[in-house]
Amino acid sequence: MTPTDPLAALGLPYPFELAFMQRALVAAVAVGVFAPLIGTYLVQKRLSLVGDGIGHVAFAGVGAAVAIGTAPIWTALAFAVAGALGLEWLRARRRTSGDVALAILFYAGIALGVVLLSLGDGLGGGVLAYLFGQPLTVRDDELVAIVGIGAAIAVTVLALRRPLLAVVTDEEWARAAGLPVDLLNGLVAIMTAGVVVAAMRIVGILLVAAMMVLPVASAQLLARSFRGALGLAAAIGVAAALAGLAAARLWGLAPGGTIVLIATAIFALATIGTRARQGLAHAEGEGP
Amino acid sequence: MGSAVSDARSSPAPARLLVEAHGLTFGYGREPILRDVDLRVHQGEFVALVGPNGSGKSTLLRLLLGRLRPWSGTVELFGRPPWALRERGALGYVPQRPTLTSEVPATVEEIVATGRIPVGRWWRRLGPADREAVRHALESVDLLELARRPINELSGGQQQRVFIARALAGEPQLLVLDEPVAGVDAASQQRFRDALVHAIAHHGTGVLLVSHELSAVAHDLDRIVVLKGTVQFDGPAARLASAGVSLGVHAEDLPQWLEGLR
Ligand SMILES: Nc1ncnc2c1ncn2[C@@H]1O[C@H](COP(=O)(O)OP(=O)(O)O)[C@@H](O)[C@H]1O
Ligand SMILES: [Mg+2]
Repeated sequence: MTPTDPLAALGLPYPFELAFMQRALVAAVAVGVFAPLIGTYLVQKRLSLVGDGIGHVAFAGVGAAVAIGTAPIWTALAFAVAGALGLEWLRARRRTSGDVALAILFYAGIALGVVLLSLGDGLGGGVLAYLFGQPLTVRDDELVAIVGIGAAIAVTVLALRRPLLAVVTDEEWARAAGLPVDLLNGLVAIMTAGVVVAAMRIVGILLVAAMMVLPVASAQLLARSFRGALGLAAAIGVAAALAGLAAARLWGLAPGGTIVLIATAIFALATIGTRARQGLAHAEGEGP
Repeated sequence: MGSAVSDARSSPAPARLLVEAHGLTFGYGREPILRDVDLRVHQGEFVALVGPNGSGKSTLLRLLLGRLRPWSGTVELFGRPPWALRERGALGYVPQRPTLTSEVPATVEEIVATGRIPVGRWWRRLGPADREAVRHALESVDLLELARRPINELSGGQQQRVFIARALAGEPQLLVLDEPVAGVDAASQQRFRDALVHAIAHHGTGVLLVSHELSAVAHDLDRIVVLKGTVQFDGPAARLASAGVSLGVHAEDLPQWLEGLR
């Protein structure tokens, strides 16, 4: 039994009629849900670029996996978690400004990855699948890892919705209220690392952060509550993943890039729509 | 309403001591900001803490809440050191803040509901009692109508009432407010005053209020504490008034009066 057997039994139509497309479908939809969920907290904390920084560290992990012959996903996860916790530690201590800490993470991650890869086979085709994403070649074991990591994150984020909201909106109050603020911030950091690694095979390390930020940016324009913003961000993530995959198959495009371009288009539409609505309200004298 | 307050106060049982600070000295660098500060707040008592900008009011609150440790002196909240406090729900805190910088929309109700987190275990789901407490808190700051509105659509004065409601939602025994009505219009100040008086009269809450704008609560205050590095005055408002300052204590005339103290 493979993870996509239930989907195969449904007899999905083109473009999802083949087993590799069904694996891609499950993986991309999972990423579409969990990346925006955690992204909602990052955007609220004004840490939109953190996903990118952690992605670069994950790249070093992929390099290490190639050099020493371990499983890329789990090696990258170990690197990403360490990088995320290190970054959170620097941020909390204010030892270094957030900007500089992120920049160091970017450069050190990529440099280390390149050096480690040169110890192995160099920048082969396998590595490109992590840099730019390649959902069409996702294997069953990778699929299980992606869905497993994603489900753990989605459950945690939803269960801790209220304490996390308290921490991201008002850290000083949350501390006075006795919430374990450092623990919760560390948890968000670890989950961000998990998202980066689970999503890198789908949209690629270079575009992973886009799936954490773009659906959230659209949702916060349209939603009227935090709960609504979480749900809408996940819905937009899924829509972008589905449409992106289908378009990639139809026209032979790069799936990771296509998914992100569609998420960008949704953001553009949301912005135009919001502006138009505000303009209308203004014209009718209802504006602020 | 005034009689309800005085009824609660004239009850024979000795009021419980909620805050007891003794001989607090603290500074961020080498120089102390606070020297030998004493402060007490009892159950059902309404105490205002005033002083010029930079006189250490927010710092004193952070010491009382256990966010900072004093160089010397002792603090007790509900009879324990603040960092060992178990019943976090017993403490309602409204931090000093200019404006909310929230991008993701959260409704008034969602923010106020976070005030229930310190009651019991922080990962627990909200039940009917929690929802009732949130409703009551919203009602007492007159925000029920705006409960479903995203907080970033509210005015500054309305947002301040949201943070007061968040503190009230935990049904605290002690409310600590750091300049909650700075720059808020008179009508909002009146609603704010009503909410505090309700908490004191009906729930026996003790209130420690840092504010420059005391005109709305002037007749409800039990004590006023003037801070400028050390405690310059601690007593009933009437005595402060006879010392030469009317209770419309403004940012401008208070420091003047303090200069006269030196
Ligand atoms: N975190 C801090 N680090 C260093 N100095 C601080 C800090 N917070 C406040 N101060 C300084 O301590 C003094 C008292 O500040 P504060 O307690 O905020 O006064 P108030 O609330 O009465 O305006 C001020 O001179 C302020 O600059
Ligand atoms: Mg202050």
